[in-house]
Amino acid sequence: MKTDLSPRIKVIVYGLMTVLLIPFVFPTWWMVTSSVKPISDIFAFPPDIFPRRFDFSTYGRVFELQPFAQQYWNSAYIAALVTAGTMMFSSMAGYAFARIRFPFANTLFMIVLIGLLIPAEVTIVPLFQMFLGWGMINTHWPLVLIPIFGAPSVFATFVMRQFFIALPKELEEAARVDGLGRFKIFWTIALPLARPALGAVAIFTFLHSWNLYLEPIVFLSSPENFTLPQALTQFTDAYGGALWNVQLAAATMTALPVLIVFIIAQRQFVEGLAHSGLKG
Amino acid sequence: MASVTLSDVKKSYGKAAVIHGIDVDIADGEFVVLVGPSGCGKSTLLHMLAGLETITDGTIAIGDDVVNDLEPKDRDIAMVFQNYALYPHMTVAANMGFSLEHRRVAKDTIAERVKWAAGILGLEPYLDRFPRQLSGGQRQRVAMGRAIVRDPKVFLFDEPLSNLDAKLRVVMRGEIKALHQRLKTTTVYVTHDQVEAMTMADKIVVLSGGRIEQVGAPLELYDRPANQFVAGFIGSPSMNFIPGQVGASGFEADGVTLPCPAGTPIGTKAIYGVRPEHFTLSPDGIKAEILIVEPMGSETQVTMKLGQTSVIGLFRERVAGMPGETIGITIDPAKTHLFDAVNGQRLG
Ligand SMILES: Nc1ncnc2c1ncn2[C@@H]1O[C@H](COP(=O)(O)OP(=O)(O)OP(=O)(O)O)[C@@H](O)[C@H]1O
Ligand SMILES: [Mg+2]
Repeated sequence: MKTDLSPRIKVIVYGLMTVLLIPFVFPTWWMVTSSVKPISDIFAFPPDIFPRRFDFSTYGRVFELQPFAQQYWNSAYIAALVTAGTMMFSSMAGYAFARIRFPFANTLFMIVLIGLLIPAEVTIVPLFQMFLGWGMINTHWPLVLIPIFGAPSVFATFVMRQFFIALPKELEEAARVDGLGRFKIFWTIALPLARPALGAVAIFTFLHSWNLYLEPIVFLSSPENFTLPQALTQFTDAYGGALWNVQLAAATMTALPVLIVFIIAQRQFVEGLAHSGLKG
Repeated sequence: MASVTLSDVKKSYGKAAVIHGIDVDIADGEFVVLVGPSGCGKSTLLHMLAGLETITDGTIAIGDDVVNDLEPKDRDIAMVFQNYALYPHMTVAANMGFSLEHRRVAKDTIAERVKWAAGILGLEPYLDRFPRQLSGGQRQRVAMGRAIVRDPKVFLFDEPLSNLDAKLRVVMRGEIKALHQRLKTTTVYVTHDQVEAMTMADKIVVLSGGRIEQVGAPLELYDRPANQFVAGFIGSPSMNFIPGQVGASGFEADGVTLPCPAGTPIGTKAIYGVRPEHFTLSPDGIKAEILIVEPMGSETQVTMKLGQTSVIGLFRERVAGMPGETIGITIDPAKTHLFDAVNGQRLG
């Protein structure tokens, strides 16, 4: 976006934007800086913008108090599986709902969408029963399967369907004339062009899985199986008091991949947008 | 290369019938233009030919084979779409070679064919670019390149020039025509622009409301339109229509008698048709009141009142008159047309 603003208005606009930035940036800044403060400095009032004393031992203690590396790996591979699975299922289901004419397609889609209206808290008990029956309690299976076949994937399917509906039909007709079958059209034409939508799906499914809290505390019971959000609650001293600085060090490390995923996927986003559109 | 035969082809979407029985024979190597107003079913017909739409009734044959149930890829046709439909994520070369790749043609052969097509269309400098880096005319050429690399039996064009500006349209019109003369591939070309139809076609099929109005060579349609619809559709500006009846001394319209060919029974109610370019200026001709004069340099377009009907005349000469004045005009009876007042069919 390029606009010609007079210098005075520019100053006002940028000033306003800077002020608005504070509530977004401050908590993150406080989290990162407090993770290297001795615990007694954390509650200083007014809060210190820059730490007065540094205590980097917190980062080491994170790994002593919990099997944090293992938990990190748990969260990472679960989120990766969920993201990959959701991208695969939602793109295929979205394409089918958008392009293949089959009886009751729209009714079926509505039924699928209704899944979004049911809160996770409602289904968690029956899901627990189900996974108990399958012997999957205290394993990662529920954390992988529930998002892929549950609400996050439904939302992703919706996004993909809307994208494929908007994709010009002529592209696929051209591909049919060029000799491609249905799956090849999906794979070589529709899917590569769906990169912006897939980028969005990847971001929010990854975030959803990474931040998942209710399901891990319900399904997991041993620390070496924990995921990060669950592990974050476990940094306490012998009397159950929270070790704030250690917890914030863990939180800082937890937030890092989110930032990385966002930066990578966002570039895909913009690139994908530039690709779309036939003419003009 | 092959002929194409449509026999009693029909199409309905659910209960809505959009094509009501089309019969067309297209000879091997012929350039046929399907023309008609928006919504008359041109694209639908072309899609059925391509195999992208199912055929509700009737048969379509390419060569000697009925292709009703064949997939597009098995019909050996190539299609150029209105919005080009180039694959945005592939280079020009990849776009053009795409169909061959999926037919398991050897890599060198593909490269060779793409180079050949690019040569014909002047696309060599752009082979590594993406469609978004090309101008409208260049994209149009890539779309054509994608069609010709395969050397199909039939080319199908769906309004390929409608996204181009007027000047480029004339250029591309020439290029498509030249391409056809060079390759001599049977071509079905859809447009709603009668000028494109007239200049490019060996044979024009005029469609309206899912029915054929007339089939014929361009000048045949111009000289002897089969009905009022074709008469009004072909030619620009359109033919003038004046209601009235055939009298003893000519065609009796409201307030004026016009020359018309003999042979139609006196008293017949009819629509009189005369093209704007078939009026001639003549001081002692029929008097007409000038309404608007539009000089265009090479010719002058005059809107005038002939009796009580306002008509358009197109003159090679410059017309000096001002609105409100009268001019004299003559009409060659051989160049006039009479249509049935009720069903619009040609009389005589
Ligand atoms: N999928 C569809 N379902 C119902 N009706 C349709 C469908 N596709 C086309 N039609 C109808 O069929 C008729 C012919 O459409 P078609 O696209 O062939 O027109 P066209 O002659 O190509 O017009 P244009 O010059 O505007 O491209 C139209 O009246 C249209 O509303
Ligand atoms: Mg059309």
